Amino acid sequence: MRPGVSVFILVLGAFAPVTHGADWRADMIIEAEHAHAVPDDRSQKSELMLTPELGWRGEGGVRLTAIGRLRADGYDRLEPGRPEQHAVSDASRRYFHDDQVESELRELYLDLQAGGTWLRLGKQQVVWGQADGLKVLDVVNPRRFREFILDEFEDSRIPLWTVNWEIPAGPGTFQLLWIPDRTYNELPREQDLYAFSSPLLVPTPPDNTPVEVRRAERPDRAVRDSDAGLRWSAFLGGWDLTLNYLYHYHDNPVPFASLENGTVVVQPEYRRTHLFGGTFTNAFGDYTLRGELAGSTDRWFPAAQGEQDNVLHSPELSWVLGLDWQGLTDTLVSAQVFQSAVELPSSRLVRDSVQTDLTLLIRRDFFHETLTAEVIGIHNINLDDGLARPRLSRELRSNIVVSLGADVFYGDERGRYGQFDDRDRVVFGIEVGL
Amino acid sequence: MRTDPERMTTVGNKAESPARRSPLEGRLLALAVFAVLPLTAFSSSLPDGDSLMQAVADRDLGETRVSDMTLRLTNRHGKTRTQETVTYRKYYGEERRTVIFYTEPSNVRGTAFLTHDYPDPDVDDDQWLYLPAMRKVRRISASSRGDYFLGTDLTYEDVKNENRMPPADYHFEALAREAVDGQECIVVDAVPVSDDIAEELGYGRVKVWVDPAIHVIRRAAFRDVAGNRLKQLHARDIRQVDGIWTVHRMEVNNVKTGHGTVLEFDNVRYNENLDDSTFTRGALRRGRF
Repeated sequence: MRPGVSVFILVLGAFAPVTHGADWRADMIIEAEHAHAVPDDRSQKSELMLTPELGWRGEGGVRLTAIGRLRADGYDRLEPGRPEQHAVSDASRRYFHDDQVESELRELYLDLQAGGTWLRLGKQQVVWGQADGLKVLDVVNPRRFREFILDEFEDSRIPLWTVNWEIPAGPGTFQLLWIPDRTYNELPREQDLYAFSSPLLVPTPPDNTPVEVRRAERPDRAVRDSDAGLRWSAFLGGWDLTLNYLYHYHDNPVPFASLENGTVVVQPEYRRTHLFGGTFTNAFGDYTLRGELAGSTDRWFPAAQGEQDNVLHSPELSWVLGLDWQGLTDTLVSAQVFQSAVELPSSRLVRDSVQTDLTLLIRRDFFHETLTAEVIGIHNINLDDGLARPRLSRELRSNIVVSLGADVFYGDERGRYGQFDDRDRVVFGIEVGL
Repeated sequence: MRTDPERMTTVGNKAESPARRSPLEGRLLALAVFAVLPLTAFSSSLPDGDSLMQAVADRDLGETRVSDMTLRLTNRHGKTRTQETVTYRKYYGEERRTVIFYTEPSNVRGTAFLTHDYPDPDVDDDQWLYLPAMRKVRRISASSRGDYFLGTDLTYEDVKNENRMPPADYHFEALAREAVDGQECIVVDAVPVSDDIAEELGYGRVKVWVDPAIHVIRRAAFRDVAGNRLKQLHARDIRQVDGIWTVHRMEVNNVKTGHGTVLEFDNVRYNENLDDSTFTRGALRRGRF
């Protein structure tokens, strides 16, 4: 991304207090966050993030929205140096001013209304699904794993250049997506603080065998390698329903490996898959039931030792069922069950053929919603590892919120959460809206 | 003039012990009652409470309404939070759909709340919340009628009723005439029709000051189900917009918590043509056009 664009947006954000008007506005959110790792008594980050937003509204429902971001981190330990961003298209890359300062055009889109339909053109986030904390259908946009899953999804999701057209039809609405932006997950590098080590996520070569990992080449055909999606949503008989379809490259490349001259050569490749899914939600008294289902036709999974290939092909079925309870004033209790199932037996895979995660969220507001206490827990049944995230946030003024929390990993180091057991941290943050 | 509900109860209790009075005392008391009654109830020509509150309930509110709403929430230490919103409301027969878009401060901009309120009290309302940080429209369980609305001192039922009181929920009795903001009002005592309704609403008794000329509630004093003073409401800056009497400022003070809410309404417009798509989940996601 050209730095001039983000500088332009940041300058506009600086004038936020004086630019409110009927047709356009500019404002900014300033966030400062410090994270301190408990096990090694070492700071993980001390960052300042400015997120300016510019909006313009014209006649006939035309709107233009631009959101930029400038981030400075005093420690540069999450992503030391300047990541190469090979998985990101030129048009969606961050610009690194130096090792510690980066800027990014987060979103830039035009909203149009025509013939009772809505068209959003430009760089944007598209969110599908009803699940919290873990993703089943929320796969339209790739993610940046700079802080594993600890970042807000809003921040870790990588906005894509997208044509997003919503068309009402009968009792429902169709959403058509065309995504020519060939950007995929930004996975952590070996030197990054939250680099993956779990065999569920990275291939494990035989002991004492040299390994050469080559760069995954992004698909390069502008149109033929685009992603495309279709969603139908409706409110019928009290049920919120969606049906979803996405034809896409999976955002993680498949790490195909071969032995060449005594060296294991890993050549990751992006592979396409069809994703079919749907969601349902309804409220019954104090309870809200949420469900989400997704089937992917072509997925690849790390194979167990002894298999001829290092990755095996299988369709995958994932689903989540959630129940929210709001029977007590200002209180939310939300529990979810996630499962992912593949057709292969566990004996042939690093993972189990069925993986189960449980999540629990308990949140309570106090003092007219100015103080919020919450704890989020994620627990994997298969490996007994997980993550607990208690947090306290206080609204000091209408536009100032301070928060104090902790991210505590536990369990088997082979697990997705247990691999970060030594990265537990406390986090202090302040957010100011201008 | 007996306008305090608690005092009325006390007087009533004393009157419930005729067995200890002599026949002569009883006759004198009866004479006194008949002598005084015309001076209180009849000579002041108080309207019937039920009819008056029915007129309030039947007041024209327009099929649609659009307004800018500013919320000022002040805690007992005097610290004030301010939020600005744009609200859209449309009636579909007796079904009412409302959407609120938060516009200020910037860290809550884009938050939006949608309700479909159904006339049948046995049918739960449908509610959705859009949080920009999640980029998701979240279905939430229908709030209890007595739950407080988005951190304010008004309940969901208060907001839903738009400064009216459903006749099905209360017994009304006109008590007196009193002036509020220089306008003569009828003081009406409102008592929930049952203990269950009182529990649902969170109110054991409400005294309202109704302007009979325009059928608008100018003041209200709420007591909780235990009979303790709960909160006071004062409607100000009442003007006609598009021929409809409209409250432009509403002050609510919770005497139990010391918390206060001021709602200010600007740019109020009625009966604009609002597209049905304004009141959908998609509209929450797309934001305000």
